[in-house]
Amino acid sequence: MVAKYVMLADTTRCINCKACEVACRAEWDTPLGYSRDWVKEVEYVNAKGLPEVQLFPGRCQHCDDPPCVEVCPSGASWKREDGIVLVDHAICSGCELCVPACPYEARWLNPVTNTISKCTFCQPRIDKGLQPACVETCVGRALIFGDANDPNSAVSQLLKAKEWQKLVTDEVNIGPNHYYYTAGKAIPDSVMPKLNERHLSGTLMENIVNPLGTLGIGGMMAVFLGAGIKKLIDRRQDVSNKEGSHEQH
Amino acid sequence: MQESNQSGKASRRAFLKSMMGTAVASTAALSLDAQARIHAPHELETLKDYEEHWGFCDMCYWRCGLKVRSRDGKAFKIDGNPEHPLNRGVVCGKGNSGIQVAFAPNRLKQPMERTGARGDNKWRPMPWDEALDKVAHELNKVKEKYGPQALVMIGHGTWEKPYHRLAHAFGTPNTTSPVFGLCCGPRGVANMLVAGRELGGNETLDLENCKYFLMMGRNVTESLHNGETLGWIDGVANGAKVTYVDPRYTITASKADEWLSIRPLTDHAFLLALIHVVIKGGLYDTQFVAEYVTGLDELAAKVEQYTPEWQEEITTIPADTVRRIALEMAQKAPAVLVYSPRRLTRSSNDLGTGMSISILNSLFGVWDRNGGIFTPQTFKIPEITLPEFPHAHVTRGETGGDFDFAQKPFATDAEGKIQRADGAGVVGRWPLANAQYGLTNEMWRAMAEQDPYPLKALLTAGGNGFSNSTDYDTIRKALLNMDFYVAADVIPNEMNSYADILLPEASYLERYDDLQTGGMQEGFVALREPAMQPLHDTKGSWDICKALSQRMGLEAWFPHDSIEALLEDRLKKAGLSLAELKEKGVIKIPADPKINFPREHGGKSVFPTPSGKIELIPSQLQALGMADAIEWAEQPRPKDGEFHFTFGRVGFHTHARTQDNIWLNYFMPENLLWIHPDAAVKLGISDGETVEVKDAKGRGGKIAAKVTPRIRPDTVFTVHGFGHWDTRMTTAVGKGLSDSLLASDTREKHIGSISMGMNMVTVTKV
Repeated sequence: MVAKYVMLADTTRCINCKACEVACRAEWDTPLGYSRDWVKEVEYVNAKGLPEVQLFPGRCQHCDDPPCVEVCPSGASWKREDGIVLVDHAICSGCELCVPACPYEARWLNPVTNTISKCTFCQPRIDKGLQPACVETCVGRALIFGDANDPNSAVSQLLKAKEWQKLVTDEVNIGPNHYYYTAGKAIPDSVMPKLNERHLSGTLMENIVNPLGTLGIGGMMAVFLGAGIKKLIDRRQDVSNKEGSHEQH
Repeated sequence: MQESNQSGKASRRAFLKSMMGTAVASTAALSLDAQARIHAPHELETLKDYEEHWGFCDMCYWRCGLKVRSRDGKAFKIDGNPEHPLNRGVVCGKGNSGIQVAFAPNRLKQPMERTGARGDNKWRPMPWDEALDKVAHELNKVKEKYGPQALVMIGHGTWEKPYHRLAHAFGTPNTTSPVFGLCCGPRGVANMLVAGRELGGNETLDLENCKYFLMMGRNVTESLHNGETLGWIDGVANGAKVTYVDPRYTITASKADEWLSIRPLTDHAFLLALIHVVIKGGLYDTQFVAEYVTGLDELAAKVEQYTPEWQEEITTIPADTVRRIALEMAQKAPAVLVYSPRRLTRSSNDLGTGMSISILNSLFGVWDRNGGIFTPQTFKIPEITLPEFPHAHVTRGETGGDFDFAQKPFATDAEGKIQRADGAGVVGRWPLANAQYGLTNEMWRAMAEQDPYPLKALLTAGGNGFSNSTDYDTIRKALLNMDFYVAADVIPNEMNSYADILLPEASYLERYDDLQTGGMQEGFVALREPAMQPLHDTKGSWDICKALSQRMGLEAWFPHDSIEALLEDRLKKAGLSLAELKEKGVIKIPADPKINFPREHGGKSVFPTPSGKIELIPSQLQALGMADAIEWAEQPRPKDGEFHFTFGRVGFHTHARTQDNIWLNYFMPENLLWIHPDAAVKLGISDGETVEVKDAKGRGGKIAAKVTPRIRPDTVFTVHGFGHWDTRMTTAVGKGLSDSLLASDTREKHIGSISMGMNMVTVTKV
């Protein structure tokens, strides 16, 4: 059977030590100011009036129904048979249409390669039988990765043993393959996915950009290349301000 | 799969090219799905080749085992060594950021000589030979004029060992590391006095099987050490109850069942009341106490007055809570731990606090039991044979740089020989203080005041006195008093900006170092080997000290031709070889339950105190006239408008030496002042606003406020290590406020270690 790769985050074991983020940065040479993964620390006062902190390690959720693939005009954004959502850097124009399409803010334009960067579940590592870098280094062993279609895998066993939640809302439910264990605590709103205002769904894309399906490849090319150029200009203006904008994760 | 992609690549490229051609040339109406998106096989990234090299970490002092990946002669990724007992394959954010120690743009890259005033950062690069000649000459000059004891050596790195040896060979007893006097000293001494055993630098606790953790400010998830943290998380996952006692709600508190927001400096009172309840209620392990413990009646009389009600006014923890915790722990004993903080340098009586922890653990009979404190195994790797050192200092033990309070902790001087200037281990001064590590705080004071004798030369190996010892005036005065100061380090900082000569150390990814030996349930010896050639004109500490020893007539203490030869020599004495150690980076003695947990397997516990038993009233303290250490000593409280000043750690910074690391600075470029919403409202302070923090001496500065219920209303907190002013630290300079400015530098009254928590501050809106 084809594998179905999933990531489990046991938030009770996460300590926000940032090992996952730095491991990812070192493994994939991520430019400073950007990150493919993150840990969100949420603090609040509970019903008893006492402080509480929850920690949510996150990354691309490798959704079953990924809008980032749907909106990609070039086909650079694709989903492998085993569920991993990838970017083909040889094709990616850096048009950034996929960036707002992702309700988890998992994608960003890499200013070095000028293509879209994101978590790949460390596809080159797992293709060699290794664990993703974030999983291998995780101090609390809070991150567990594996094949949910293999009933003997650690993830299959854990999925059965505990109550897992996903980051989905009524508005955004696109089949994420990242699970969270919170020991029964509700997941705070601030961690939940949000529809981005600039998000163009695939349908919209077809209706607006290519309403009758008759624009043809030349027109399509012009549109996404144009988008890429516009982005380049925008980015030149605000690249210095945006530096570190992912720090809030 | 990759092969098929490889073969598909050419055709896909051709396909793409033709598509582009079509795109430009044609407006033919073709379906979006068929043409606009590329359906040729996608190109997959593949993992590039790399080499692996063994190491142990230098980002903090736990020293996790590493497997460093290099490509094209450059280290690029640090992984954990799964075989290493201290981390079992995991590496934290700091450990992962070690790459940016080696590649730091601000590294010390070549030997340099100061050309401006001390601290002005005006430097002239110089060749190694010239630098080493000058250091040897200047140190010998001081020796001639004042004697060898005028040299002070302060080390703070996992590579400091050769400098200690060089200084001892030179003839000074005055070598010190902050680990004792500024950090863990009191807890080590307390355990030694009560049980003749200490928990080691690596916490010999059976965390996975413990069923109740009473965390006395031990923020194990943020002041984190991978193996310990993972063990604790496993213990919690296995169902241990956690009661977390700390004025601050840390990430560790968020994992606890209960957070007790204790008044700062009052842990001792809380613990005394627990002892009171445990003894009065007969909640202790009667069999263990009968067989192994002395002094119960005497202790019972001493704690009679320390009722739960008595402590309530002091700690603000309800009396009933104390009673309940004592009962809960007794029910789970012996798989329980009263978990000591690492750094126990806070109040005027840290010894009393440490002893109370050790006493409670003993009453619950946790020694050598599953879920309690285990007996470690040590891999015995003999030191090389060296001539005797010409002074009264005890030699470093065979653990070679590891914490070892068991090594003649209360050393006295040999007749007629030079005594330590800081008074550590000296009769009549600080006899309880460890003479191997010394009292770094008292050494700075001795240098500043030139008392008890002239101290005129300083050799530092890592560390930053300004950030770890409090009171800038003392440190500055001490540094300005030196005829000659040579600093060896990898990175620049405020302290080494005062040096006359800077010797750039190779980073821990570019060098060999002496062996790491340790004892957990498994005994082990581990290797640090270079993962790449030095990027700059730097050397490792052994090479530097060897070269200096040759110039100073001290070569007898550095008999090997290379550090590899030294390692080979030591390993040979243990029947091993470097080649064997290079197989897995670590060689281990397997865990042995009969040795680790003798009382679970019909064996006996060993307590190497003078009586051979647990001494609840330690005989060594009585002999020193300090038996009152167990008694509660009043601690300062804030006056109206003042706050207790506290500081601590986050999981992704180590001390004051990672703020300039670009990968770690990214997560926290500056520290914030935690203040409770009630206090903030009174002062008109909103979250994120800049405030001014000041103590009674007028020291302090500006910092942004974090208004949070995660701190007591009478206390403020900030993360340690910020507020750097050395302009060479281009990433960290000018960011945040230094807590060292505001921590107190009074002395623990029995040991002489520093008390950092005694200061009060005011906070005003700017």
